Amino acid sequence: MATETALGASVGTTRETSGFRHWSALRNAAILLVAWEVLGRFKLVAGGALPAPTEVLIRFWSDRGDYPAHILATFQGASLGFLIGNGLAILAGILFAVSPVAARLGRGLNVAIFALPPIAISPILVLTFSGMTPRVVLAALGCYFVTMSATVTGISQTDRRMLDVVRAYGGGRLALLRLVEIRAALPAILAGLRVAAPAAVLGSILAEFGGGGRFGLGAYLIGSLGRADPARLWGIGLAATAMALIAYGIFALIEARLTRSTRAVTVAATPPGIRSEGSWLSTIAITLASITLPFLVWWLLLKVLGTPAMIAKTPAGVFDYLFLAPSATSAQTRLLAALGQTLPMTLIGMAAGLAFAFLLALASVVRPGIVRSFMPVALVTQTMPLVALTPLLVLLLGRGPSVILWITISVTFFPAFVTLAQGLGMVSRGALDVVRAYGASPFTQLRLVSIPASLPYLFAAMRLAVPRALLGVMIAEWLATGTGLGNLLNQSRGYLDYGMIWTVAVVSVLISVLFYQIVIVIERHVLRKRGMQPAV
Amino acid sequence: MTSTTGITLETVSRSFQGRGTVVQALDNVSLNCPAGSFTALIGPSGCGKSTMLRLALGLDDATSGDIGIAGMKPQQAAKAGLTGVAFQDAALMPWRSVEDNIALPLDVLGRKRADFSAKIAELIELVGLKGFEKALPGELSGGMRQRVAIARALVTDPKVLFLDEPFGALDQILRRQMNLELQRIWMESRATTLLVTHGIDEAVFLADRVVVMQSRPGRIGKIVDIPLARPRLPEVFTTPEFHALEDQVAEALDGH
Repeated sequence: MATETALGASVGTTRETSGFRHWSALRNAAILLVAWEVLGRFKLVAGGALPAPTEVLIRFWSDRGDYPAHILATFQGASLGFLIGNGLAILAGILFAVSPVAARLGRGLNVAIFALPPIAISPILVLTFSGMTPRVVLAALGCYFVTMSATVTGISQTDRRMLDVVRAYGGGRLALLRLVEIRAALPAILAGLRVAAPAAVLGSILAEFGGGGRFGLGAYLIGSLGRADPARLWGIGLAATAMALIAYGIFALIEARLTRSTRAVTVAATPPGIRSEGSWLSTIAITLASITLPFLVWWLLLKVLGTPAMIAKTPAGVFDYLFLAPSATSAQTRLLAALGQTLPMTLIGMAAGLAFAFLLALASVVRPGIVRSFMPVALVTQTMPLVALTPLLVLLLGRGPSVILWITISVTFFPAFVTLAQGLGMVSRGALDVVRAYGASPFTQLRLVSIPASLPYLFAAMRLAVPRALLGVMIAEWLATGTGLGNLLNQSRGYLDYGMIWTVAVVSVLISVLFYQIVIVIERHVLRKRGMQPAV
Repeated sequence: MTSTTGITLETVSRSFQGRGTVVQALDNVSLNCPAGSFTALIGPSGCGKSTMLRLALGLDDATSGDIGIAGMKPQQAAKAGLTGVAFQDAALMPWRSVEDNIALPLDVLGRKRADFSAKIAELIELVGLKGFEKALPGELSGGMRQRVAIARALVTDPKVLFLDEPFGALDQILRRQMNLELQRIWMESRATTLLVTHGIDEAVFLADRVVVMQSRPGRIGKIVDIPLARPRLPEVFTTPEFHALEDQVAEALDGH
């Protein structure tokens, strides 16, 4: 699935090994394709739910008249959202990098945008806006965090000595930005854009799911869901993947041309502004303001747009619906029941995805060949809008709880694996050599060096996994199982229960932010105790 | 005391807030570098010599005391384009060509680059980089990069020149060459120069005066005058006089 969040992009290829990697990647792809063809041809999986690649291609060819309009519609939503989202993200990134106070004020908003499961707010957007706007907004939201944090990281990691030269000639804040920082941050910004590009495609598709529009790959997918035609669903899923991949590839090319180096660039998953300076009074004031800001923005947006109060619920409106209105008890019961289904699944799926990723990453330390041949596959999967493949998983796995788990594991596994493998790869040679010099076995090396050293990356992976896990569960619930928050959202959409739509959206964002903050607190505590720095 | 283009420090102190402790990087330092003089600052790491340079450049503010560059505050002097600076690592911008890197101070000061194209060409010639005008720093050797940094420091025709271990990263052979070139350049421009260095021979060879600093707290230990005639030729390195001066500086470094 596309990385709405940062990660994947992060793994840089070193020049020396890339040739070899390409070959093994090609070989793996060929093996996969052949295996797939055999499985499909002989209907070995779920009674033909997995059609052979050739069947998918044939179906794609006979549907070729349908595709251009759908692809164009998704492209329009995604590209407009990409432009707006990244434009705002770069401006915000510059602001946050220049002003620590702004970064701390914006933290609440940034965390909320990072953590919000796009599916949860897509019905709201569809209610509040019309036409293309929901797609554009969701695509823009998908881009914002990645590019914003990339910009901040890029600017704040600018070589201090270059800044000193400019300052030594009396250069002020603007001169620093103009002559050094923006240019120095360009590789990081481009890496952000590269990850944001498939995220924009995904955002547009997600908005199409609930948008009721005629055109767009998401709309096409939903429309085709009812027919028992796996080959078409696969065709649409693959078309969406191809679109995301092309978007990713274009920016990877631009990046390579402009920066001339293939330095590994990690895109941060940490919102800026964690450091607190100044008196405790101002810290508390800024923290409170930062928490209030998202609600203020929400309220202001609705006021500016002038959406009728019945449809658009303000923070007070949601509170009223959930606690004060006559129907409040019934709403609470439904919400709690849904949460009771969704939360355990989210935690189990996330834990399983992380554990799986951690084990594979460790295995890859012992056998580096695993990473080398698996990483390209992982990177390709990173750019896949896995969400668009959800209907296919439904075909494969049915509509039971297992489909939720699989979807959740698959959306959390890849970013976590990429982060962890990268972290383990950065363990210092020297430290490993020391234990090796005393004859440590690979297992002892893992225990004494690699695992403790990669702790910051495990936390970084967890931070990333939180919102994705919730997104995965809700999508599976919405499209497949008809349970939990995802279903509640979908049902409320059908019943025009605006209060509940807003409530589910707000609650899911709050839960996501809460989990995220819990991870951050544990991370800070553990890492400080061990004298380590968080991985970005 | 304020000379037209001199550097003056009057009872300058700079302290840093550490974890519960206060580090006195500079304690009550006074120094006067007359216009057109060449002063070398030498001392163990942590003696505050880099802090002193950063204060004089206006990159940092003193806790107390006054600093005058050509009779102005450091930032004013920098904005007026009176100063030039070269740091230990060339600190070139990897995306700018040799020419563009040399022109950077002009961009910061808002001067028209077209008026300086002859000057830039002359400087490139001076530091021996003719033919490399369009090269990017990544394509140059360490010594070449350092020469770009020197040319950059000279592009504004500075009246006051700050050099922070400009040859620290170079090997001994290249360093000698660069010392000779620097002397030649300095004798042509006669800019008031403050050189921070780790090399005793470099300090003695280049400077009129060597200021030896001591650490904890950072302060001036001793000032050694170098009465060697100019231009100093490479042969001077082997003279007994030169060795005697080196010994004086070394002794002062040991705290005698």
